[in-house]
Amino acid sequence: MAEISFPLPDLGEGLLEATVLEWLVKVGDQVERNQPFVEVETTKSSVELPSPIAGIVLTLHGEPGDVVLVDTPLITFTVADDSAGIVGTVPAEAAPKRRVRLSAVLDED
Amino acid sequence: MSDTLELVRETPLLQLSMQQTINRALGEILDTDDRALIFGEDVGVLGGVFRVTDGLRQRFGANRVFDTPLAESGILGTAIGLAMAGFHPIPEVQFDGFAYPAVNQIITQLARMNYRSRGTLPMQVTLRVPSFGGIRAPEHHGESLESLFAHVPGLKVVSPANPQQAYHLLKHAASMPDPVIFMEPKARYWNKAGVDLAADEETSALEGSVIARPGKHATLIAWGAMVSRCLQVAELAAEDGIELEVLDLRWLKPIDEAGLAASVSRTRRAIVVHEGPHTAGLGAEVAALVSQSCFDTLRAPVERVTGFDVPYPSGDLEDEYIPNIDRILFGVQRVLEYRRG
Repeated sequence: MAEISFPLPDLGEGLLEATVLEWLVKVGDQVERNQPFVEVETTKSSVELPSPIAGIVLTLHGEPGDVVLVDTPLITFTVADDSAGIVGTVPAEAAPKRRVRLSAVLDED
Repeated sequence: MSDTLELVRETPLLQLSMQQTINRALGEILDTDDRALIFGEDVGVLGGVFRVTDGLRQRFGANRVFDTPLAESGILGTAIGLAMAGFHPIPEVQFDGFAYPAVNQIITQLARMNYRSRGTLPMQVTLRVPSFGGIRAPEHHGESLESLFAHVPGLKVVSPANPQQAYHLLKHAASMPDPVIFMEPKARYWNKAGVDLAADEETSALEGSVIARPGKHATLIAWGAMVSRCLQVAELAAEDGIELEVLDLRWLKPIDEAGLAASVSRTRRAIVVHEGPHTAGLGAEVAALVSQSCFDTLRAPVERVTGFDVPYPSGDLEDEYIPNIDRILFGVQRVLEYRRG
């Protein structure tokens, strides 16, 4: 298991901070990639942030109403070692299937 | 015989994934080689998008494991300059499809610096490239660049098929004075297998091909993720009474001509399987080598089961593109049925 933290990104043009409005996940939740996990408000708008990875929520850095600075930690996940990367999926280990059968006459000479 | 070995072994084999064995190998290389540096996109703080460099920055510090801008040409340019200054760069290109911007640096500088400098500027660069398809990624995240790189004089190209090989081949590749393209089959990153890290593999055992499964009626030749698929095919073919040998080529430049010839001269039939497009794919080189060395014993022309001559498709069409079990079995059938005249 690895711990991965994500900082609050700059949500506008040079914004410095955002206020946590509502956490859409709680500690211990399994979050999927691109699943919205928090609603924050900046001086320009309120916005839901999608999770950049799939993982289990370990820490929420702030309570609703708290101001979080850009580039400081917002959320920390624990990520299983066998989970996919940021792109793609882990191939399923399926039992091999086939339709073709071999029917060769082997004339060994 | 393997049962006997199991009994005398003091500790059971570690069950590790390729992701984990590559991580261990990288840690050991950094530990033993002060000149070794790891850099690339997200390899530092994040630990790599496939977690392959996980924890290395914490262990070895940000001077030896560091993130780069999203500029593959710059990553390779940096590697070349560092190698000229005596370092041993181990850069990562995050996905094979991102290697194209770096191809100019690789071909016009990295591959020929040793030649150009008459051996005074060897390029000990171990370039890791998560390669091939199989993970349903979008465009540019799954390609098969082996024939592109194998065509360039001055480069070595290798692709491991399982966790044990990945560990030993990466350490071996890193010990070479030449640039080596290390193609990690990303579809096999997560599969765990018993690994003997302590196996004191002779250098000679890490060069050339290996027989992944012995057989006598035909040889399936593959590398990377296609090796495990060919092993599945061999298992199924055995149900039909056909014993297929699976030759894991491992080194794609230089190709183990002697190993190829030894296998096919026994089985007398060959099918080469790869994910890359058909035309001018590495299968053509393999077929030519086999034809040359085994012309008198071959019972059929060498069959190629490959990707199609189309851009590597996105995830939804991947299963139609990558050689599947049935396509490989058809190839085997064609070779078995072939009659002269």
